[in-house]
Order: sequence, then structure tokens, then C-alpha cells
Amino acid sequence: MKKTIKIFKINLLAVLLLLTGQMVLAQSTIGIDGFVRNYTGVQYNNGDINMLQNTLNLNFNLMGDKMALKANPLIYLYDIDSFDFRMREIYLDMYFNSFDIRIGKQQIVWGKADGVFITDIVSPLNLTEFLLPDFDEIRRGVYAVKFDFYFGNSTLEAIWKPVYAGNELPGPGSIWYKPPEFPAPPTFDRSKEIINPSLENSEAYLKYSFTSSAIDFDLMGAYTWDQTPSMFVEKQFAIDTTTHNPVLTGLLITPEHHRLYVAGGSFTSTIKSFVLRGEAAYYNGKYFQTADPMAEGALVEKDYLHYVVGLDYGVGHLKLSTQFIQKYIFDYDDNMDEDEVQNTMTFLGRYDAMRETLHLELFSYVGLKYGDALIRPKITYDFSDAFSILLGSNIFVGDERGMFGKYQDNSMIYTKIKYNF
Amino acid sequence: MKTLKITFTLALFFLAGIASQLTAQQLTGREIIDQVYNRPAGDDQTSDLTMTLINKSGDERVRKIKQFTKDFGNIEKSIMFFVAPADVKNTSFMNWTYDDDSKSDDQWIYLPALKKIKRISSDSKSDYFMGSDFTYDDLGDRKLDDDTHELLREETIDGVEYYVVQSIPKDEDYIYSKTVTWIRKDNFIGLKKEFYDEDGELLKILKIKEFKKISEFWVITLSEMENVQKNHRTSMKLDNVKINTGIPASKFSERMMMRGI
Repeated sequence: MKKTIKIFKINLLAVLLLLTGQMVLAQSTIGIDGFVRNYTGVQYNNGDINMLQNTLNLNFNLMGDKMALKANPLIYLYDIDSFDFRMREIYLDMYFNSFDIRIGKQQIVWGKADGVFITDIVSPLNLTEFLLPDFDEIRRGVYAVKFDFYFGNSTLEAIWKPVYAGNELPGPGSIWYKPPEFPAPPTFDRSKEIINPSLENSEAYLKYSFTSSAIDFDLMGAYTWDQTPSMFVEKQFAIDTTTHNPVLTGLLITPEHHRLYVAGGSFTSTIKSFVLRGEAAYYNGKYFQTADPMAEGALVEKDYLHYVVGLDYGVGHLKLSTQFIQKYIFDYDDNMDEDEVQNTMTFLGRYDAMRETLHLELFSYVGLKYGDALIRPKITYDFSDAFSILLGSNIFVGDERGMFGKYQDNSMIYTKIKYNF
Repeated sequence: MKTLKITFTLALFFLAGIASQLTAQQLTGREIIDQVYNRPAGDDQTSDLTMTLINKSGDERVRKIKQFTKDFGNIEKSIMFFVAPADVKNTSFMNWTYDDDSKSDDQWIYLPALKKIKRISSDSKSDYFMGSDFTYDDLGDRKLDDDTHELLREETIDGVEYYVVQSIPKDEDYIYSKTVTWIRKDNFIGLKKEFYDEDGELLKILKIKEFKKISEFWVITLSEMENVQKNHRTSMKLDNVKINTGIPASKFSERMMMRGI
């Protein structure tokens, strides 16, 4: 099936390119830019080099008055010879008087929050390195048709996503993989993990945006899939020959996706030197793991609210920003694995010095319940307009029950040397 | 990164004004600066800006920007697209300025790597623009009555007559304690301006090196700001200046910020 999907994708792109490539070429300019980057990281606790990555990022742009083509291949070389090639984006734009259409593999970014994903749910995430990659690299491209209709200061955006793509999670062998603890040996049935591309399995998103002097806001709705599968658990028993009682001998775990209905919105406005931002979404149809013995498959369906409020402030070369994020599960059941309320804060401080060639930055996530945190200081120096070197650290601290504290063995120091062209 | 008025930047500040029929005896310092600030500059303008930052060793860093400005009556909208260097290419910036002095500018920046438009605050006019020696105020955001203007004297240099006007900020905490501007009497172009720091020491000197008449409007096409205390300077060059070409209103929108040039 994967092969069929791949052929479908390739055919779609080939047809698009053939139909339009020459028309665009006839009246367009070609641009190529990108970067080369070395990223090397060392873990604090054992001195292991946990990151040795070289990256070539290319952007091909073919721009015309009525059409444009873009391709963004990325090649990662890990260690000595482990390649990871990704076509992050490849799409065609068609421009009309009052609307635009974009077809192909594309990254779509929604919302006003920084570093958290609330209404920003169209493009799934590559979480194989947790939340550490730059935010332009953490999002995966999706195959979609995007239609933007413009009227006055408003935009209506409709997206049809025929091919499902979910979050990419770390697997066994990764330092970011934390194996769940099972009371009995698990067996996995992955037959329901794949969602075949079809009209029925499509996802649809709609957003209305408004820009004005006083405020910018948007309202969104989505009929989508949960981007991380739920684990349907069937317990397997055998009869103890001595006690004649049933004994748990194994677990059959079936990862499966569920449909989600999401409604939300976001806003941003300025007040003197401050920028106030907010974003919220109500999720309907989410399945959570539960220890309730009566729950079918150890899953329970609940709705939840996810929101953020943020404030940005700038004075001279110093920029400060903070956000409060809350996730609240309605009709909570104490047997559920996840907490009823999850409160997180983010802090960002950035200072530009030496005519904007030296940049000091401190970003952190703080989990308020367990007092755990991810602290990310970094210093970047631009040797020239094209060439920069970054020295940074990712420091995980706090209670191991928290989503950041559990990675405290992964604290690291790293460098990124980057050449833009 | 903030405002856009660079197109008119130097234009609004120093451009030739209407040929004044007033005599020197009739003009006050405020009236002279008013002539400089409020002159007809066309309904819209397009240009390519090249900004070169030169440090004390003579090393250069170059920024290139394509910019568009349009006057909508009580609001002026501008949009700039960053062309170089590579790490900021396709970044765009939009500014809406209001005639109402009590209303702050509205500003948005599009960051192509994040694929996101962010609204930003426009309050810090004394910030330096893209690491250059020009603050946003230097680039034209300064209002006439932000300063008290005084005609110090008249001078003749190389056969050209100048008004020499001193401007003292009403805000005592402003980054400059005063500025002194040499303004040509014949066309109200300020050819030189000195900026003094909070201690009254000379901080920067702006020199206009080239100006042209384009579509009936005087436009400064080459200028240089030198920081004499830190010994670095920035030159600004405008090319391909086009005035009154009828830029559509739709150019100044989030749609165009994301699409690019």
C-alpha cells in the first residue's frame, strides 16, 4: 500500500509539473538559495556525541506573474554515511485576481503562538528529536490543495488534505525514545496504523483571517485525524494450572487513529510597546489512555481545550516574550493516564549586539506541575552575511514525571556552523 | 526591524521642497523644517535600496531591499522585500503610518523560514535599522513637533546659501540631545546633519552625496551616515526610483508579504 501511495504522489507531482512547468518557465525567473550546516552535539552526562549531522537545504523557485513552482529538498547526512533525504516541499502556485491556489506537498503554518501547536495542526511534526529542531524543520510537509480567497482585509482559506500524514515519533534506539512500561509482554498489531488515501479518509480545514489596525484575528475549524495514534489494548489471559485463576499473559496493542473535530481561533494586537497574542482550540473526539478496567481497549474519549496567552516586549536591541499554555480535559476521569490540567510557560529573551552580528538568546519551556524545564541558551556570531557560528545548550531539568524532566539525561551542548547562499 | 519609510526617508527629510517664495527674514526654524518635512513627494514610489554597512576596518556588509510606498490620504502604506543577504532573503515587512500623530504605526513582518506573519510593536523609534547607523527616526519617522527648532544662522559654502537650524527634542530622554541641519535655501534640501549624544558630544554626521529630479520630484539617491565616536558608517543608495506608477492597493497586504516580489 505504501508503494501505491508513493506512486500516486509521484504521479500527481509529475502531472502538475508537466502541465505547468513550461508555462511558468516562459515568463519566469529561477532562483536557487539555501544553506549548508554542520550540527554537532555532545551529551553532558557521558560525553557521547549524540548529534553529528550535516545538512544541505536547497530552495528552487520558479516565479511567474500568474504561477510559481517551488521545491525544497533537504539532505541530512548523519554520522559518516547515513543519509536522510526529504522533499520538504514541492508545490505549484496559481495566482488569480482575488484568490490563489497551491497544489502539492507543502508546509502550512497557522496560529499566533510560538513553539506550541494549538490551531497549528495542518502540518504534523517530526518529533524524532523531541522539540529541538528549528521550527521550520520540525514541521512535515503534507500533500494538500490550498485555496485562499481574498476580500478586503479578510482571507478565507480552505484546505483539502487527501493523504494522511501523522507526527513522526522517535523509535527504539533513539535517545528520545522512552519505552512505555507494560504489566505483561506486548505484541503490536499495526494493521490499523495506516490510513489509506481516499475521499472518505481526507481531512478538511477552514480558516477565516482578518487584518486591521486594531487587531488581527482568525477563526478555524478542522475535520482531521489525530496525528498521534491511540493504543487500543487487549489483555490476554491464561488459566493458572495450580490456582485455576486467570493470569495476565500478554497485551495485544493496536495503534489506531481517530477522527477529531477542532474549532478555534487566534488573535494578536499591540498595546504601546507590547504585543498581546492569544490562541485557543477545542478538540472533540480525542481518545486518551486509561487504567479503568471497564474501558474498552484501555481508551476513553474526552474533549479538551488547549489555549495560550502571550506577551511580547521590545526595547532597543532587547526582545522579551512569555507565554502561558494550558490544556484542560473535560469530564475528567481519575483513571486517565494524562493529567486533567497541564500548565506550561515559555520564556524568550534575545539581545542583538555589535550592529546585529552577535545574538544572545535564552528560550525555555517550564512545566508548572512538576517544575521541570527545557532551557535553551545560545549565542550566535555572524562572521559575515553568509557565515555564522552558533554555540548552544539544551538543558533538561526537574522531575522525571514531567515532559521535560524525563529527558534530563539528554542535556547537551552543541554547535551549528551555517553557510547561507 | 521596523518601518518602511526609507523610500521617502531621506526624501521626506531632506528633499528639495517647493520653491519657496518666502524670504529668509520671514522664516522661523520650525517653518524651515516644515518645508523640508512636508513637501509633495508623489502618490506612490518604488525603488531598490542598497545599504552598505562599513566597519572601522573597512569591511562591508550589504543589504538589498525592494520597496513600495503608497499614500492613501490619511494613511501611508509601505512594504519592503529583503533581497540580500541570503539569510534574510524573502523576508518582508509592512508598515501602515497614520496622519493622526497620536496613532502609532502598525507593522508586520513575514519570516519565510517560519512561514508566519507576526505583528510587531512600532514604539521604539530610536532603534537602529538592520544594524545600520540609521535609526527609524533618522529614516523619516520623526514628527515636526517632536523637536523645538531654531534658526541659528545663515551660511554660504562654495557659493550655495544655507539655513543652519538646530532642533532640540522635547523628550529629555531621547537618544540625541540636539541635531543641527544645513538646508539649502534654494530648494530646501538638507545636505548635512549633525547628531549630538545625550552628553552633547558629536555622535553622527549625515551627508547627502547625490540627489536627482525624478518625475518632477527631488529624490536623494545617495547618502552616508557616519558614527564619529565608533568610527563606522552606513551608505544608502536608491536605484530604479519610480514615482506615480499607480501601484495597486492590493500590493500592501499579507497576501503579497507571503508571495514576495
